[in-house]
Amino acid sequence: MLVAISYWLLAASCQKVINIDLNSASPVIVIVGNISDQPGPYVVTLNQTVNFSLPNTFPPVDGAFVTISDNTGIVDTLFETATPGTYHTKKIMGIPGRTYTLTVISNGQTYTSASTMPQLVTFDTLVVQQHIGGFRGGNDTSYTPNVVFQDPAAVANYYRFIETVNDTLQTNIDCIDDQYFNGKYIAYPIRHRLNVGDSVKIEMQCIDKGAYTYLTTVGEASGSTNVTPANPVSNISNNALGYFSAHTSQYRATQIKR
Amino acid sequence: MSIKNTWLLAVLLLSNIIVAQAQQKFTISGTIKDSASGEELIGVLVSVRELEATGVSTNEYGFYSITLNEGSYTLLYSYLGYKIDSVKISLHQNVKQNIRLANAGESLQEVHVQGAKANENVTSTQTGTISLDVKAISKIPVFFGEKDVLKTMQLLPGVISAGDGNSGFYVRGGASDQNLILLDDAPVYNASHLLGFFSVFNSDAIKDVTLYKSGMPAQFGGRLASVEDIKMNDGNDQTYHLSGGIGFIASRLNFEGPIKKGKGSFLIAGRRTYADLFLKLSNNTALKNSSLYFYDFNAKGNYTFGDKDRIYISGYFGKDVLGADKLFGVNWGNATGTFRWNHIYGPKLFSNTSVIYSNYNYNISITAANLNLGIQSVIKDWGLKEEFQYFPSSKNKILFGFNGTYHTIVPGNLVANDSIFNNTNIQTRYALEGSVYASDEFKVSERLRFMAGIRLTSFSLMGAGTFYNYDASGIASDSAKYSSGQFVKTYINPEPRFNANYMLNEVSSIKASYDRNVQNLHLLSNSTSSNPTDLWIPSSNNVKPEIADQFSVGYYRNFDDNRYEFSVETYYKIMQNQIDYKNGAQLLLNQSVESQLLYGNGRSYGAEFFFKKKFGKLNGWLGYTYSKTEIQIPGINNGNWYPARQDITNDVDVVVIYELNDKWSFSATWIYNTGYPVTFPSGKYEVDGNVVYYYTSRNGYRMPDYDRMDVGATFKCKKHGHFQGEWAFSVYNVYDRWNAYSITFQQNPNNAQETQAVLTSLFGIIPSVSYNFKF
Repeated sequence: MLVAISYWLLAASCQKVINIDLNSASPVIVIVGNISDQPGPYVVTLNQTVNFSLPNTFPPVDGAFVTISDNTGIVDTLFETATPGTYHTKKIMGIPGRTYTLTVISNGQTYTSASTMPQLVTFDTLVVQQHIGGFRGGNDTSYTPNVVFQDPAAVANYYRFIETVNDTLQTNIDCIDDQYFNGKYIAYPIRHRLNVGDSVKIEMQCIDKGAYTYLTTVGEASGSTNVTPANPVSNISNNALGYFSAHTSQYRATQIKR
Repeated sequence: MSIKNTWLLAVLLLSNIIVAQAQQKFTISGTIKDSASGEELIGVLVSVRELEATGVSTNEYGFYSITLNEGSYTLLYSYLGYKIDSVKISLHQNVKQNIRLANAGESLQEVHVQGAKANENVTSTQTGTISLDVKAISKIPVFFGEKDVLKTMQLLPGVISAGDGNSGFYVRGGASDQNLILLDDAPVYNASHLLGFFSVFNSDAIKDVTLYKSGMPAQFGGRLASVEDIKMNDGNDQTYHLSGGIGFIASRLNFEGPIKKGKGSFLIAGRRTYADLFLKLSNNTALKNSSLYFYDFNAKGNYTFGDKDRIYISGYFGKDVLGADKLFGVNWGNATGTFRWNHIYGPKLFSNTSVIYSNYNYNISITAANLNLGIQSVIKDWGLKEEFQYFPSSKNKILFGFNGTYHTIVPGNLVANDSIFNNTNIQTRYALEGSVYASDEFKVSERLRFMAGIRLTSFSLMGAGTFYNYDASGIASDSAKYSSGQFVKTYINPEPRFNANYMLNEVSSIKASYDRNVQNLHLLSNSTSSNPTDLWIPSSNNVKPEIADQFSVGYYRNFDDNRYEFSVETYYKIMQNQIDYKNGAQLLLNQSVESQLLYGNGRSYGAEFFFKKKFGKLNGWLGYTYSKTEIQIPGINNGNWYPARQDITNDVDVVVIYELNDKWSFSATWIYNTGYPVTFPSGKYEVDGNVVYYYTSRNGYRMPDYDRMDVGATFKCKKHGHFQGEWAFSVYNVYDRWNAYSITFQQNPNNAQETQAVLTSLFGIIPSVSYNFKF
């Protein structure tokens, strides 16, 4: 909606790159951790924020003590890989219904987060839909992949979709909850437009509410339509940035044919 | 404070009754109209030559009532831009004296300035009030040549535009939803067309606009910051006139005339923009198939029955349509209607009964891939207002009445026609708002005047529906079901209003005021531009009424036979129960939107300087405002006070009009204001391959300062019979300054290592020309 309105406004407007003198901020830890129902190892990365004016090189946080435990008493201490700031699990398994707790101790600070892996919702099939023309006009034909699944009516569900096009991972964060389609059999369109010959792979994740809230608000942190952009709502304690998500994973792939 | 004020009011009423019984007195009353058009004149000064400093003004329906001792008098009727009329009256009984005043001619400089009306700003009791006569502001250059009373009002001190592409404005540190905008007594919920580039008020149909910034009269209530009381023209009751204008992006047509000569009249005004016609020239098929326009109609009729009764029916209807090809469409609009009945019970008692309707709605439709969605939202009011004006003596004017309004709010319904989505209904909310009020404007002595009033308001949230209670973290702790007509929560608030004026001498005065305002409808909007999807919510079990207390003191001084007026007004305002949103708040189509809110306090203070030259070939004004507005909300910026969005430190407005001769007049405006507070990132980090910005404080930065100059010229063609044509030229943003509309941050497309700030401006220089006619 707002995208369309902004589009109108921008049609008449002018843009230029400017210099702004932004304050510097003391570095803050950024924790990103995932655990899925697929075989491990599962990865936790620790980095730091940098000042806005600096290049996009984010210093890793090494030498941290990182554990993931579940509610059955299994505790796994992660080891730091050859890549500084990247930690791997050794033995823990992701099982739907279990609650996982991530603990990170670094520089005398302790950060914790808990995430419950939802039950799996079956990714039935991947359907490709053809479009002629479109919002930006022209008569070009493009293709949209649709994820088809039956949303369970009994519970609130949260989904994340990760797309890989021609072996390139798409970094846009695509999440939706079932607020508007609870209990329906749906074909959820992935926003990316594809061309004939492209190969596409979609990962469908069932995520929990905490991870969903983070992943939907992370986009707003850099949004242009908000008067007051803000930090996304993290599910990690002690003012750490980032998120921890225990999720199921399913994959489907196809190639776009004429 | 409230008890004190009620007591004061009682004393004033009592003292007046005692005075009234002491002497043999009679009343002169009547209605004053324009001799040519029959349009009632508001605020005409009725003074008595034999009694210095005795005078009354006509009310908003042109009615006046003055009570004097038995004797012979000469009554003087004076009004800015009109010839003074005088009537000799020998007063042995009550006299009815209707007057038709003749316009003094087109140019104000020819008017011999006389009468106390010219120093209204010094003598009136009310603080923080400015009236704009639409005819007087018609020469001010405006965006795309469309005269706009709301835009012109933003050139006054204390009133600050919310920015380009936004018809919202801030009055004395109030947010844009804290302005009560009334069109013939009906509230207008979204006063913008085309995402804020124009206001919904067609100047052809508007007679008069009065802005109250402090010491609000007791008959107004419901918003914290200001009242914009806008009155539509009544239409000419003598002859038929057709007028209109053809401009770059809009055309207007206006037809008025008598229903029965001297008895009743009507007015119909309409306009339509055609900005989308330019889109048809585009090569881009999507743009070509897009629509972007608005239209609106104003209609009003009135009729006089006998000596004592007059009825008015007025209405507004407007619609904006925005569509992108067949994929996306949104339309929104207001409709208002007012039925009024004026009745004169006697020479001293005037009444007005109004039935008021207002409706604002929007519809969004999305058709894409396998989606076919509609979103609908409505806010609707039905109201009844009864007001009495009692004029016991020339020293006293008493106002009392009540009103009741029933609000229906449909926050948003999602209608899915065939697709993957379920229909979603966000619960409709019902509320009943009631008030009783009384005020007395009283001359204590020749130098001292008071206006004391009290307004008692109640606001009740009503069923049917399920109502949740949310704790501080936004989790629903419990819920209760109510059936239709059941009261869920009621708030009762007394709102004292007090104004005083002490005349230092004939040309200068000091005024002071205190007022409390309570607001029970709250706008949730988290967007930079005026957004049709604005969501209003009522006070509820979770949302408390917003309350503002304002103290204001001012000094007023006129120079050179009232040719120049000067004033400085200062204010301090304390606001309670202000609303803000949690980080990442989801406002649209959210069943539990109240769980997304945070509450806190606000404070604002400032000084406003206003210097105006009212007459002569060269006239205009200079305004300067210094102000500071801060809010404190637990959970934001560690609970510290921080600058609000509407915290604009310095604001300068210059308006110059030069009337060269009968044909040509020129005008220019220049505005400057400090950039508003914004939130910019202080750092950045990476999540799943995305660079995310890190914010350390809300509103910690400011946008660049804003300045702009507009110029205009009007050329009046030679009159052919009754036909009068006029060319209006204007240049918006004459020195082509690219003011900031937004500043956003993005990755440098040419260097993945770098993040850059991008400034977006909406408009550079825009010339326009329009042709206006009247016959």
